[in-house]
Amino acid sequence: MPSASRIRSFFRNLLHRQAVEQQLDSEFISCLEMLRREKIATGMSPEEAGRVARIELGGEDQVKEKVREVRAGAWLQTVLQDLHFGLRMIRHNPGFSALVVLTLALGIGANTAIFSVVYGVLLRPLPYARGADLVVLHQYAHKLNLNDVPFSVKELEDYRQNHTLDGIVEYHSMSFLLLGQDSAERVQTGVVSNNFFTVLGVKPLLGRAFLPSDEMPNADAVLMLSYDYWQRHLGGDRNIVGRVFHMNDRPHTVIGVLPPIPQYPDENDVYMPTTGCPTRSSKAFIANRDSRMMSAFGRLKPGVKLATAQADLSTIALQLEQAYPKTYPKDYGYGLLASPLRQDLTRRARATLLVLLGAAGFVLLIACANVANLMLARVLKRERELAIRNALGASKARLVRQLLTETVLLSLAGGGLGLFVAPWAMQLLVKFAARFTTRAAEVRLDSHVLIFTFLISVISGVLFGIAPAFSSTHQLNDALKQAGNQSSTSRGGQRLRASLVVAQVMVSFMLLIGAGLMMRSIFTLESVDPGFRADRVLTMRLSPNFTRYNDNKKATALMQEVLRRVNALGGVESAAIASSFPFNPGGIVSGPNQNLVQVQGHSESGDAGAMVDTMNAGPGYFETLRQPLIAGRTFSDHDDDKAPTVAIINQTMAAHRFPNEDPIGKRISFDKGENWIQIVGIIGDAHEYGLAKTPEDSVYLPAYQAGFGSRLVMRTAVDPLSIAGTVRSTVHSIDPQIAIDQVNSIERLQQESVASPRTTTILLSIFALLALAISATGIAGVMALSISQRSHELGIRMALGQSRRSIVQMLLHQGLSLAAAGTILGIVGALALGRLLASLLFHTSASDGMTFVAVSLVFLSVAGVACLLPARRITLIDPSSALRQE
Amino acid sequence: MAQEQTTLLQGTLDLLILKSLALEEMHGLGVARRVEQITGGTFQVKPGSLFPSLHRMEEEGWLSSSWGESENNRKAKYYKLTKTGRRQLETETERWQKIALAIGQALAT
Repeated sequence: MPSASRIRSFFRNLLHRQAVEQQLDSEFISCLEMLRREKIATGMSPEEAGRVARIELGGEDQVKEKVREVRAGAWLQTVLQDLHFGLRMIRHNPGFSALVVLTLALGIGANTAIFSVVYGVLLRPLPYARGADLVVLHQYAHKLNLNDVPFSVKELEDYRQNHTLDGIVEYHSMSFLLLGQDSAERVQTGVVSNNFFTVLGVKPLLGRAFLPSDEMPNADAVLMLSYDYWQRHLGGDRNIVGRVFHMNDRPHTVIGVLPPIPQYPDENDVYMPTTGCPTRSSKAFIANRDSRMMSAFGRLKPGVKLATAQADLSTIALQLEQAYPKTYPKDYGYGLLASPLRQDLTRRARATLLVLLGAAGFVLLIACANVANLMLARVLKRERELAIRNALGASKARLVRQLLTETVLLSLAGGGLGLFVAPWAMQLLVKFAARFTTRAAEVRLDSHVLIFTFLISVISGVLFGIAPAFSSTHQLNDALKQAGNQSSTSRGGQRLRASLVVAQVMVSFMLLIGAGLMMRSIFTLESVDPGFRADRVLTMRLSPNFTRYNDNKKATALMQEVLRRVNALGGVESAAIASSFPFNPGGIVSGPNQNLVQVQGHSESGDAGAMVDTMNAGPGYFETLRQPLIAGRTFSDHDDDKAPTVAIINQTMAAHRFPNEDPIGKRISFDKGENWIQIVGIIGDAHEYGLAKTPEDSVYLPAYQAGFGSRLVMRTAVDPLSIAGTVRSTVHSIDPQIAIDQVNSIERLQQESVASPRTTTILLSIFALLALAISATGIAGVMALSISQRSHELGIRMALGQSRRSIVQMLLHQGLSLAAAGTILGIVGALALGRLLASLLFHTSASDGMTFVAVSLVFLSVAGVACLLPARRITLIDPSSALRQE
Repeated sequence: MAQEQTTLLQGTLDLLILKSLALEEMHGLGVARRVEQITGGTFQVKPGSLFPSLHRMEEEGWLSSSWGESENNRKAKYYKLTKTGRRQLETETERWQKIALAIGQALAT
């Protein structure tokens, strides 16, 4: 514990350095003068006295240095000196410094950007009160391969009997028509239990949140607005609370506005209590244990561990299984899984982000190795300077510290510059991450990210400084003994540089393999045949006010009228109505729906194989998409509610369910045999849920028999999006209260569906190319240095008759053996790390032979060029001058 | 072992400096001469160790300094014991006596 007086001295020494030094000077001068007079008094001549006094006082500078060393804050002075000297060295080598700073800025900037995304998405605490205690509930049936079955009202009531959660929240999202004065707008509505915001710990920005009284059977309908919707559609009106909108033919009053936080589970425009949703509040829906639609989550009671809650909930699941054997047959493998909300929110982003963070980290490592090599070469030139300083009294530790100060200064400058690069890269990354998780909205450059950048800058500086610093102080004494300007080629330094190059090659090879595998995977993915013609198809969603089209007849009439008018439009070749279409983004997110189907005459298996996806398609749908008919017929205008119920199945289902018979004419049932539907056709498989998803058993039902199909699908003669406006006004000429949204072309949606693996591939490729370029310059640098250091030896070789050609071959051999060693290590590393990438690959093995061979070839060719470029310098060597040097 | 020796020696020098300043304020050279005098010439204090010690003790707050005129009218930096310094002199003296006694006993056996 320093005394108060020592602390005062610390600041005086720091702030009034000059005054303190001046006093020390005066003290010395006066002391010297007194000594001199003492000597004169003993009878010495003035000159003699001055000399003796000086000797007695000792080396003035050394004594002063000793005084300085005991001063408070002496260490700080040393650091400041080091910094001062470091800055001077950096200024004196602007080219070198700029190269180092730029290299590091790229590396650190990339890492900062990716870390900010990783931090925002994976690490930052959820923006909800005690977010770590939130758990999501998943109902599963292992034997049916179902792991996220929605909940029914009855099931939620049962699970609310648990002892470990503070309330279970239910949620589902629907889109409703929000009718204002003169507009119809489709709004995504979160339908929630009244405790939704309380359990999340979200306080409204305006007004109030839901109360239990809002969820009573006869309560007035109320709404809460999301921040985004309030801002974009209602102009952020602060008097919005109390405004009345019409929804589902009831007045809904706005009671509050949410703060701008990432929403869970989805982004919604508005929220309403369960009593506001006509489906959810119907008596039949509530009473039916099999009417499943909702997701559920809850909050662990204080002090309760996840495992305890899991055990508690599993007990209830077991009780349900026993109480309702019909709903939960023993062989379904029914159960309930509670998983942390944070994990659930970011599950899809985790692998990709970690792979990218790893790749960025590798690039930085390679950059550090390269800078270390540059430093080594430069330190070699300064060996004599360092040796002299050592001889003049600077300790080796002091020299190491000095060199490290220089490298850390350089890398902090790199980090600072990197911070300017990062936001630009971050913008791209946030858009990318938003494909995986709603948390992307939380990404920003905050103090955590800045601390990260600072730390990796310092660590990089130490990393690339440590090897040169120690190698240089190793043989200081030798350096002084060297004659002339030719500095030594210390064997240790050579070996160190060689191993740095091997390490660089290894890591960049691994990155190249990663990028190569991703490329191969995306090519494979993009060459998958979607099963229909995706070009020139326009789609949009129509949402009529259903209170006006409340029976099948009115709905069918509307669909037919829309089709008649749209088909008459100039640019439209054909049009159809359906409930969905391939690459529909909503479908890709939710995946195929799972319906238990029974085939007449087949035994009931009740396992995963009994599940089929269903979709409604109107007449002309398959023709419009050019989905090929394999057998039987497609739907016609006559397949309406007066005609017998029919279905079309896809090829996969035909092969799977009817391996040895003709499915046409067979009958299937979705309600355990109450109603039978006849199969009238087999259609080619289409990749409804994305190219990566293998088509599963699918049943298509006629739109006119199944109710309304909300998707209008049109094959156009022209650029599909160019006629969207015409189609929109045509539909509105039938009924202006039909909301139209999600206008897009299937081709664009198909591209969109592979956009995230494509972006991952592009990012990895950029990293890999960067790494390749850095390593290539590393190899070239080492070769160039080795040639200039060996010019003397090479000159003698030439003088003795060795041809330039064979010298080049010798050097090439030397350089390529480094590259080959790195490549071999890289192959081993890539095989070991391949597993991490496997989850991102589509139909591509992580040890894909072709990729490894191709990448090795590319790599060795680049390494060869990198070796040959500096070999030109050999022609500059003059054998006679090499001989004269001796 | 070596460490202990230097601390002992440094402690000794501190004690001698404090002691020589106990009566009156003095400049650096004066302190050196006084130490020589009171130890009967046993200790020759070199400026190389005197000045760092003086400055350290001043920073610790045991000594204070001021500029004054020397005996032959030269400007010189004078050192003076502070209250803390006087207390330090007492503790150091006590400690030294304990050590001297212990070592004396040890050597007598």
